[in-house]
Amino acid sequence: MADRLLFSKTGRARYISHLDLMRTFQRAFARAKIPIKHTEGFNPHPFVSIALPLSVGYSSQCEILEFTLLEGTGYEEVPERLTAAMPEGIVVHQCYPAQRKLKELAYLNYIMNFEYPEGRPQAAEPAMRELLGRDSLVVQKKSNKSKKGYTEVDLISLIRSWNLECQSDTMTLDAVLSAQNPGLNPELIRAAFCEAYPQFAPDFVTFHRREVLDGEGKPFR
Amino acid sequence: MNRTLEHILPKVQKPARYTGGEYNAVVKDKQSVDVRYALCFPDTYEIGMSNLGCRILYGLMNEQDHIWCERCFAPWGDMEEEMRREGLLLYGLESGDPIADFDFIGFSLGYEMAYSNVLNMLDLAEVPLRSADRPDLTPLVVAGGTCCYNPEPLAPFIDFFSLGEGEEVTLEYIELYRQAKEEGWSKEEYLREVAKIPGIYVPSLYDVTYHEDGTVAAITPKDGAPATVTKRIVQDMDKSYFPVKTIIPSTEIVHDRVMLELFRGCIRGCRFCQAGYAYRPVRNRNPQLLAQYGKAACEDSGYQEMTLSSLSSTDYPCLMELCDDLLDYCAPRDIGLSLPSLRADTFSMSLMERLQRVRKGGLTFAPEAGTQRLRDAINKNLREEDLLQSVRTAFSGGWSGVKLYFMLGLPTETDEDVLGIADLARKVYFAWRECTPNRARGVRITVSTSWFVPKPHTAFQWEAQIPVEEYQRRVDLLRDAFKRDKSITYNWHDPQTSYLEAIFSRGDRRLADVLEWAWAHGAKMDSWSEYFDYQRWMDALAACGLSGDFYAHRVREKDEVFPWSVPSVGVSREFLWHERELCYQSQTTPDCRTRCSGCGANKLLTGGGRCG
Repeated sequence: MADRLLFSKTGRARYISHLDLMRTFQRAFARAKIPIKHTEGFNPHPFVSIALPLSVGYSSQCEILEFTLLEGTGYEEVPERLTAAMPEGIVVHQCYPAQRKLKELAYLNYIMNFEYPEGRPQAAEPAMRELLGRDSLVVQKKSNKSKKGYTEVDLISLIRSWNLECQSDTMTLDAVLSAQNPGLNPELIRAAFCEAYPQFAPDFVTFHRREVLDGEGKPFR
Repeated sequence: MNRTLEHILPKVQKPARYTGGEYNAVVKDKQSVDVRYALCFPDTYEIGMSNLGCRILYGLMNEQDHIWCERCFAPWGDMEEEMRREGLLLYGLESGDPIADFDFIGFSLGYEMAYSNVLNMLDLAEVPLRSADRPDLTPLVVAGGTCCYNPEPLAPFIDFFSLGEGEEVTLEYIELYRQAKEEGWSKEEYLREVAKIPGIYVPSLYDVTYHEDGTVAAITPKDGAPATVTKRIVQDMDKSYFPVKTIIPSTEIVHDRVMLELFRGCIRGCRFCQAGYAYRPVRNRNPQLLAQYGKAACEDSGYQEMTLSSLSSTDYPCLMELCDDLLDYCAPRDIGLSLPSLRADTFSMSLMERLQRVRKGGLTFAPEAGTQRLRDAINKNLREEDLLQSVRTAFSGGWSGVKLYFMLGLPTETDEDVLGIADLARKVYFAWRECTPNRARGVRITVSTSWFVPKPHTAFQWEAQIPVEEYQRRVDLLRDAFKRDKSITYNWHDPQTSYLEAIFSRGDRRLADVLEWAWAHGAKMDSWSEYFDYQRWMDALAACGLSGDFYAHRVREKDEVFPWSVPSVGVSREFLWHERELCYQSQTTPDCRTRCSGCGANKLLTGGGRCG
């Protein structure tokens, strides 16, 4: 199997798109002089693949990248050398041989921060609890595959667990969401909340991916 | 990161253009520098980040401990709208600080269609547009780049222009500014002093008067400003700054690769070409040094592509040696090597073999004119046999497509010359049939024509651009001629932007009002079809009582005082006039390496050296 990196993407790097991030890694490996396997064919290029693309603007401390390290570099020296070759905001934490299949990656833990700079309405918290406490919450999701242009998903069935904490000007939702087949983008939770309770729509919401989990809810590496 | 910016970014397209933080972006402690410089490119991030001049100046300034140079680009419409709504002022990408608080706001002016963006960026920064409305010493709004050889349409907005290559003069005017700041000079005092630095043109120190017919009567320097400001050049390319460490964008840009500048200037002397005259004299870089720079830049950047850049790369004396050296490095690393700006008469088998070793890009030649007579008249000095030999070589080598660039409306052009383009393209097609190892694959021959724009400081600076109806007629003529050629695709340039370029490239100060009117009525991003509005510019000219045809379609008298009489590229007016006369006799001038034609540019070499 391939090798993996665990990295975070925060600060200014949040705005680098998925494709651009792959290109950034390809170049960073070259800058760090860490030889990795290239694709074969007419236009050979360094092969990298990022599991579960992160939406532009989201931060994460648990991104996984697959590649194949060629001989000559030890796993332990990769994080520091690669981080030094990265744009601001990308930090490589670990490099290791893959031992499990990516399809075992089942859940993602997101932290969503609802910001109310003018002060959080008291009733926003019970509103969110009500919303997430429903038996089902069917929303429309844009889809290119469907003829209608959208598909319907039940958010509740894709939320494994959640916890809500409030401060005077924020409301923080810590949620474990289905990662794939199908995955749930936490943006849909924000949208559903704002639709159900437009009077409590926050000024801004930040999204942070805190952990990737397997089917048992343990960190996936 | 600024909170307002953070809230805006999720709403705009390609937000990575607006964040900074790329690899090699320079962040300094603002308390420890005494000059902050906003290097502004009046177009999108993708275009501006590809500009070699900006890469050089950014690296050069940031090498100085006391200067912090940051980048600034024109935001796309969606970003501009958000910035204006949220009151976010135009900021430097590195610090996020408003550029209005910087010491210098420096624009790179490469093409006329970016002028409206200069005004728009100043406005987004909340900096008054006109120099006269900025009484304080800071921020100083300055500009450099090829357009500065006739910067008159921007004269009221820019405090001073830097003519020619910026490697030395930039640090000189910054040094003078440090003195000014320390000694508390007024802006007027600084401008009077900076005008004494060779290569600096301070437009407010010149009074321009006009004849009744609209032509310039006189340009009078005042306060000791020089009558002629001659551009600056780098004397020794081997000692000049080369940007080995450049910012590697985290998002894709237009020229996303290592750029290796082989030489400056061009030996050819094509009579229409402003770059050919304005970048004289020819100065080569040492091939060993270039190979060293190229490798170091690849190592530092991680780029998988390198391009050799110059005005005419096949004229580089050590091209084969350099290619071999670079290929030994690039090929085992899957790094592509590309070579634009090839002359069609010098594309040899040996060069082709080298280019094929890594990746095969497209092949583009610019014969510029369809007949030998007209090519001689414009001094393109390309012979048909040589072009055909080159394409035969390429087609035999497996290339199955070629692009050919031409201009319509060149001085002395007749219908015979126009139809000659079709003939030439057909001969290229037959060369393919004759030479291709694989006829089943087919061939793509693309012919593109643009509408000739006479440029200042060229042999054709006196010429009229042909009227638009005539341009359209010649396009139609050529289109008809290509009707039955299935393998030839014909593209022609839309005439509207070429007309505006013709107006502004040889314009005078009165056009500043046109520019400001157009900007105030929404003009920006004029090189983008999404934004360009021809009628707006026509309305702007009408509102200011000026005629576009006066600038674009008028033949100038031999001795007319040109609006660009003060800036000099080092080539004498007498030489350019003589070149124009030779054009009308279809006489060629040999290239500078074969024989010096005495244009005057060698006087720019202080060591008394010869060019080439």
